[in-house]
Amino acid sequence: MKFLLLCLSAGLVYAQALDPAKLLQPPTDTWPTYNGDYSGRRFSPLEQINAGNVRNLGLAWVYRADTGGGSPFGNQIKATPLEVNGVLYFTLPDHAWAVDARNGRELWHFRWQTKGGIHIGNRGVGIYGNWLFFETPDDYLVSLDKNTGRERWAVEIADLKQQYFSTPAPLVIGNHVLIGVGGDSLDVPGYLEARDPETGKVQWRWNSEPQPGEPGSETWPNKDAMAHGGGMTWMPGTYDPNLNLIFWGTGNPNPVHSGQGRKGDNLWTCSLVALNADTGKMAWWFQASPHDTHDWDNVETPVLFDAEFDGQPTKLVAQASRNGYFFVLDRTNGKHLVSAPFIDINWSKGVDSRGEPIPNPAKEPKTDGTLVSPASGGATNWPPPAFDPNSGLFFVNTSQSYSVYYLTDTDDRPEGYGGRDSGVWSQSALKAIDYKTGKIRWSHPFRGEGFGTPGVLTTAGKLLFTGDPSGNFIAFDPATGKILWHSKLAAGVSNGPMTYSLDGRQYLVVGAGDMLYAFTLPGSE
Amino acid sequence: MQRLIRFIAGALLAAGLIAAQEPQAPATNAPPRPAAGGFNIRNFLAIGAAPDPAAVERGQKLYVTNCGFCHGTNATGGNSGPDLVRSVLVLHDEGSGAQIGPVILNGRLDKGMPKFPLTEPQIKDIAAFLLSRSQAAANRGEYKILDVVTGDAHAGETYFSAHCANCHSATGDLAHVAAKFDPVALQSRFLYPVTRALPGMRGPPPDPRARATVTVTLPSGQSYAGTLEYLDDFTVAMKDSSGEYHSWPIEGIGVKVAVHDPLKDHAELLKKYTDADMHNVLAYLETLK
Repeated sequence: MKFLLLCLSAGLVYAQALDPAKLLQPPTDTWPTYNGDYSGRRFSPLEQINAGNVRNLGLAWVYRADTGGGSPFGNQIKATPLEVNGVLYFTLPDHAWAVDARNGRELWHFRWQTKGGIHIGNRGVGIYGNWLFFETPDDYLVSLDKNTGRERWAVEIADLKQQYFSTPAPLVIGNHVLIGVGGDSLDVPGYLEARDPETGKVQWRWNSEPQPGEPGSETWPNKDAMAHGGGMTWMPGTYDPNLNLIFWGTGNPNPVHSGQGRKGDNLWTCSLVALNADTGKMAWWFQASPHDTHDWDNVETPVLFDAEFDGQPTKLVAQASRNGYFFVLDRTNGKHLVSAPFIDINWSKGVDSRGEPIPNPAKEPKTDGTLVSPASGGATNWPPPAFDPNSGLFFVNTSQSYSVYYLTDTDDRPEGYGGRDSGVWSQSALKAIDYKTGKIRWSHPFRGEGFGTPGVLTTAGKLLFTGDPSGNFIAFDPATGKILWHSKLAAGVSNGPMTYSLDGRQYLVVGAGDMLYAFTLPGSE
Repeated sequence: MQRLIRFIAGALLAAGLIAAQEPQAPATNAPPRPAAGGFNIRNFLAIGAAPDPAAVERGQKLYVTNCGFCHGTNATGGNSGPDLVRSVLVLHDEGSGAQIGPVILNGRLDKGMPKFPLTEPQIKDIAAFLLSRSQAAANRGEYKILDVVTGDAHAGETYFSAHCANCHSATGDLAHVAAKFDPVALQSRFLYPVTRALPGMRGPPPDPRARATVTVTLPSGQSYAGTLEYLDDFTVAMKDSSGEYHSWPIEGIGVKVAVHDPLKDHAELLKKYTDADMHNVLAYLETLK
C-alpha cells in the first residue's frame, strides 16, 4: 500500500515528467533512453507497422535541425531521439531540440556557447523526471528543463585543454546520470562517472586504468603509461536492473597506434566491463582487444538478452566489436561463450582460454606500413546493432575494410597517436548473426562499397529497419534478409532508427544528416 | 562503386579523415592543400591557432639550452624531468607563459628543478615552442610517414608480373609512375586507386580510367551501355557515350545490370597480399621513375 501511495504521489508531482517505470519496460508509447530500453536490444514490441503493410509506409513529417552552420563536420544527427509524452528530444554538438513527436513542430532549440573541442558528434540526451542532460564537445554536462529548454546548470566533466571531448548520451539509472568521456589526441586516461541529477555532483567514478599496484597494473609497464593510457567511455552502456550491473565498453589504449611505450595488455582499455550501478565497483571484465594498436574502440553497444544457451536459459550479453569479433558472454560473471569473427580479419592468432583474441604482433603498425583488416573505422562502429527475440538473431551493419597502418613515432615514449592509418577499401553489409554460434545466418552486401554502417531497429512487426551506404532507409525481413520497403533520403542514415506509438498510431523516426524523418501508415488508427 | 559512395558520403568521410570515431581516408605525405568547402584539419581536431613561427624558433633554442637536458630535447621527458608535451600545466599555459613562467623563475627545488632567471619575452618564446610541440602531437593528420620503400624490388617485379601485368605495364600506363606520386601516395594508390576527389582529400587527383562501366538490359531486350553513375539495391544510373544520363529502377521488374569494375582485381588482391608483397611491389614501382 505504501508502494502504491508513493507511485501515486510521484505521478502527481511528475504530471508530464518521465515516469521512471517506463525505463524498465520495453519501449511502446515512450522511448526514454538512447537504446529505447536498458537492454540495448533496440527491439520494439510495436507491430502496427508490420511485414504485411510496410509497403504502404509513408512520410508523416520531416524536421531540419538548423544550427546556423559552422561545424567542420557538417551536421550529422547521431543522436537517437528520446520520446516522452509526445515530445522528441535530440541533439547535435552544442545544440538540443524538442519537437512534437506527432508532427515535427519545433518546441524549443537550445544553443550552447562552446569553448572548443572536437565536434564530431553527439549521441543525444538522457532524461530524469523533467530534467534533460547532454554532454558538450567542450566537456560540460548540461541540464535543461525539458518543458522550456532552459538551462538549469552546467558542470565541467573533463578538461578540454587536455583534449578531452564528450559525445555520449548520458544514461539515467535511478538517481544516477552516467556520463562517459572521449579524447584521443594527447593520451589522457578514460573514466566513467555517475553524477547527481539535481546537482551534477560526482557520485562515483570508475577509471579505465588501475592505479599502480592494483590488479590490472601488471598489464602496463609503468605508472606514466597508465596515466596516459586512454580507454575512453564515449558510448552509452546498458543496464540489467536485476543484477544491478551496468555494461560499458571502453575505447582504445593510447598512444593509439604506437604500442612500444605501453607493452602489455593495457587493462581496461578495449574492454567490456560490468560495474555496480550504485558504486561503480567492477564485477568483471572482458578485453576484446588486448594491447590494441589499431584504434578499435570497444564501445559498441553491449546488448543484453535472456535466451537459451547450451540448453539452459542464460543471461547473455552480446557485442559486435569494432575489431571484427562477435562476442557472447554470460553477463552474470563475464564467462565467454562465443568469440567469432563476423568479417574476414587478419590481425588475430585466434582466441585464448578466456575467449579473448590474441593479437598478431606482425600486424601492429610499422614504419613502412602493415595491411590490416579491418581499417581503424572498424568492422562496425558506434551505430547501434539490434537483437530480435523472435528470430533469435543479432543484426549489425558491417564493413569489410582494409587499411595500411603506419608507425610514425618510434620513440620509446611516443606521444599523441604515434601513427596513422590510411583507409584503402571497404564494403558494407548488413549481417544476421546466430548468437549461439556466431555464424552468419544471412548477409546483405550493399551494392558497391561504402563507409556507412548505420544503426538497426527490429520490431515485433517482423521488421528490421536500417540504412544503406547510399542514403536509403530500408525495411528487411529479419528472418530472411529480404527487402520489403525503402525510401531514399536526402542523406545517409546517420543514427539508430527508433519507433513509438501515440494515439494508436505507430511512428518510425530516423536521422539522416541534419534531417529527422518520421514515417507512419496512412490512415492508421 | 566506392567512388560513388565516397562522393555521397563526402561530409561523413571528411569528418573521418582525422577522427578516431569514424573511418579514415587515404594518406599521403604531400603537403596539405585546402579543398572545396574550406576543409582544415586543425579545425577538425579543434587545435587552436598556431604560435608565431619566429617565437617558436627562438623558444626552441632557449628550451634546448635551458630545459632540454632534463626534459629531453623534444620535451617528451628526460632522465630527470617529466614530459612537457602532455603536461597538464603546460597544456593549461596554452603558449602564454602565464602558467609556466612561475615554475621557470622559481624552480621546483623540492623536485630538483633549479630556478632559471629568464626574461618574460624568453619565457613567452619557450611557451610558444611548447605549444607548437603539443599541437604537433595532437595533429595526427599531419604526422610524417617515415620510409616506406623497404621492400625487394626484384621480388616486387616478380609479383607484378604474376598479378598485375594483365592490366598494367611498366613501360605503358605505369611509365614514370614513381615520379608522379610520393611513395606513401603510391602505396595507397596501387593498393586501391582513388577515383574521385573527396572533400578534404590531399594528394593527387583521381584517375578516370578506373571508372566502372555498366550494361543495362531492359525486359524488352533493349540494352544501354555507359559509365556507371549510381547503383544501389533499387536504382541503376549511367551516362551513355553522348553524355546523356539514364536511370532505371531495378527491383523485381527484370532489368539486368552488368557492371564492369576495372578495380575489382585490386579489391581481390587486398585479401591476398602479405605485408612483404606490399612492400616489394612498392619497391618495384619506385624503380619506375
